[in-house]
Amino acid sequence: MPKTLIVGEIQQGMLRESTLELVAAARGLGGDIVSLLIGNGIQELGEELSKKGGGKVLVADNPEFENYTVDAYAQAIRRAAELESPELILISATPNGWDVAPKVAAALDAGIVTDVIKIEEDGGDLIFIRRLFNGKFNGNFRISGSPRIASVQPGAVAAYEGSDSGSVEALEVKVESRTKFLGLRTAEAGGHDLTKADIIVSGGRGLAKPENFQEVLQPLVEALGAQMGASRPVVDAGWLPHNYQVGSSGQVVQPKLYIAVGISGAIQHLVGMKNSNFIIAINKDADAPIFEVADVGIAADLFELVPALAKAVAKAKGN
Amino acid sequence: MRKILVCLKQVPHKDARLDVRSDGSWIQDENIKFEINDYDSYALEEALRLKDKGEAEVVVATVGPERASQALRTALGMGADRAIHIWDDAFANTDSLGIAKGLASVAKDENFDLIFTGLMSDDANYGLTGPMLAELLGIPHATAVVKTEFKNGEVEVERELEGGALEVASLPQPCLLAVQTGINEVRYASLKGIMQAKKKPLDKKGLGDLGLDASAIAPKAKVEKLYTPPKGEGAEMLTGSADEVADQVVTKIKELGLL
Repeated sequence: MPKTLIVGEIQQGMLRESTLELVAAARGLGGDIVSLLIGNGIQELGEELSKKGGGKVLVADNPEFENYTVDAYAQAIRRAAELESPELILISATPNGWDVAPKVAAALDAGIVTDVIKIEEDGGDLIFIRRLFNGKFNGNFRISGSPRIASVQPGAVAAYEGSDSGSVEALEVKVESRTKFLGLRTAEAGGHDLTKADIIVSGGRGLAKPENFQEVLQPLVEALGAQMGASRPVVDAGWLPHNYQVGSSGQVVQPKLYIAVGISGAIQHLVGMKNSNFIIAINKDADAPIFEVADVGIAADLFELVPALAKAVAKAKGN
Repeated sequence: MRKILVCLKQVPHKDARLDVRSDGSWIQDENIKFEINDYDSYALEEALRLKDKGEAEVVVATVGPERASQALRTALGMGADRAIHIWDDAFANTDSLGIAKGLASVAKDENFDLIFTGLMSDDANYGLTGPMLAELLGIPHATAVVKTEFKNGEVEVERELEGGALEVASLPQPCLLAVQTGINEVRYASLKGIMQAKKKPLDKKGLGDLGLDASAIAPKAKVEKLYTPPKGEGAEMLTGSADEVADQVVTKIKELGLL
């Protein structure tokens, strides 16, 4: 039953759902809960978190925290850890969580496991479970020493939805940030809005060559009256523009039908399409993680199946 | 002259067949092909582009067993100037902090203006070594960097957030940048480059050279076992010839009312 420090996160003036997921994870382990909220003008959010299972909520409220900078946020986390001596520190594996957690771990000389999907108890010890090899394998980890630090994959744990009484305290933090926040912007989207498509056919590295998107995938896209999407590696390689990318850093889609062709199913891609109404996956590797979210799967050579499928669809429509 | 460090990791080739060892301690990596971690190749390319633009020395370093020298040679063939190969059997079971300590020992005496790493490795996917190295060296860092622009001795970066959002920030140098894939287009080593690489310095460093001992890099985070994830309900898997399967899929699509 470790004493757990939860590092909460605020986005657009609200508590992130992932913060309540950390509350649920901490409650699952028993032990006292202390939460940390960092921001500017966040007293009310601190009170909200204290009523939603955040326990004793330390509020680091300072204009310096208006926007995330890694130095300032790391200083706040370290100050909270110094005061509270938690045995376990939980951080959400959001982009800023990935950014700050390793820094805090190195500063505290603490053991850390990132992107955890489950924490299990084993005797008096904890097992931290995460995926490796882009989702192909799971790994069980143990951490020695104190504090132990874990970043938790957003969405891996159901958010705590109860209400409790807690408390709120101000946390004074000495801030010295070397990085300057300059602003936020959105990547050029436009021209290929997949969020409105009924049917999306996405291609991944399995297509092997950029030409195959036109030669092999496009006939199926056309036969179905679908839109074409892509996984990240395809866009990174420059085979298709960024606005084709489906995933956590591309477009998040929920079409009626999603067909994943030659896509292994790394978590970043799954996040972008797993809420599709119906998912069909084609991949030559029967162990590809994509089959975990697919409704229908075919472990076969896409270069044989996709043309056959395009033909069968065209025929069905011709009838 | 600017001095740039690129930290890279040799990982199983993306098409290598991966099986878990019978004792679950890791994957079987005795007879597979290896390559430079994808994220790190983008980091190296980012450094080489700076070198193309002006005077810079690009040093590549890795912590890895004997075979990792090949990754360093590839980097030298792409245009890096010299390489440092860190290894000791004690690193075989260390954690990311131990790796970062090894790299920090090499970096701290060299006063690099800039350090590039990949955001994470394609095998372990920890995403730890770069930011940990920055903390150990006392320099600022940024992760998930998708763009860099050097202005007035500082570097302005764009960091990839979620859903297409980007954070724009400025860091002083020296700093460490952990880059995201797709930040640039990675070059291939030319034949000339590969030949020249053979003559470029590749220094080996053991624990003693780094001023470390095994206890300094004893791991706190340890992998107990690797295994194939338990299959959930997963997909209904279709079998048959291509045409048979195609017909089954068409039936499913019709049932969805989409044909």
